[in-house]
Amino acid sequence: MPVIRNQIRELRAMREMTQQELADRIGVTRQTVIAIEQDKYSPSLETAFKVALVLGVSLEQCFQYDPHGKR
Amino acid sequence: MATSLSYREKSLYASLAAELLVYGPYFFLHQQNSVNKVAGMIVAIIALQAVLQLIIAIITRNRVTDERDHLIELRGYRAGYLTIATLMVVGLGMLWFHATFGQLHLDSRMVGLHFLSVFFGMLVVADIVKTAAQIIAYRRTL
Repeated sequence: MPVIRNQIRELRAMREMTQQELADRIGVTRQTVIAIEQDKYSPSLETAFKVALVLGVSLEQCFQYDPHGKR
Repeated sequence: MATSLSYREKSLYASLAAELLVYGPYFFLHQQNSVNKVAGMIVAIIALQAVLQLIIAIITRNRVTDERDHLIELRGYRAGYLTIATLMVVGLGMLWFHATFGQLHLDSRMVGLHFLSVFFGMLVVADIVKTAAQIIAYRRTL
């Protein structure tokens, strides 16, 4: 199954931002941030843009499409 | 990595516990069904749910729900719908079979209560499946 990969954990660590802080700023639960970071949940386009905006990077730097990936 | 339960997950566990606690004894311990028992069970589940949800709302500081919660909710409703549709088809098929081959011996005064009990049982099973499917989806994180 194709998978959306992401660098949220690394980008978040570089900014010393906790999962809860990121969750609060993009309006989701901490559990959703955890699921996204573990590639177990692909967020909506709106949430993906919010994540990129909060982390100060482009969407492509934050999320990558992996057509042959497995969850 | 520690993943504590979200508000919605806690709420679902409480719902499942309430459903099993109220419906379980009704369907597995009571031999005689009656309209009063069905009504009593509905009142009991509403009261228990209200108390449990109030406690969870009080003890949970962060009550945010998001897109993932909505997707999981829809997944649960799909599982519940498929369950009740399947039970309906099977139930109606059994009714047709027994009526056709003359093995249906219902007391005419109790027909309404039998049907009420059977259809209510289907609703209960579908509701439990819905809640369980949502809990499983949370654990698998979609």
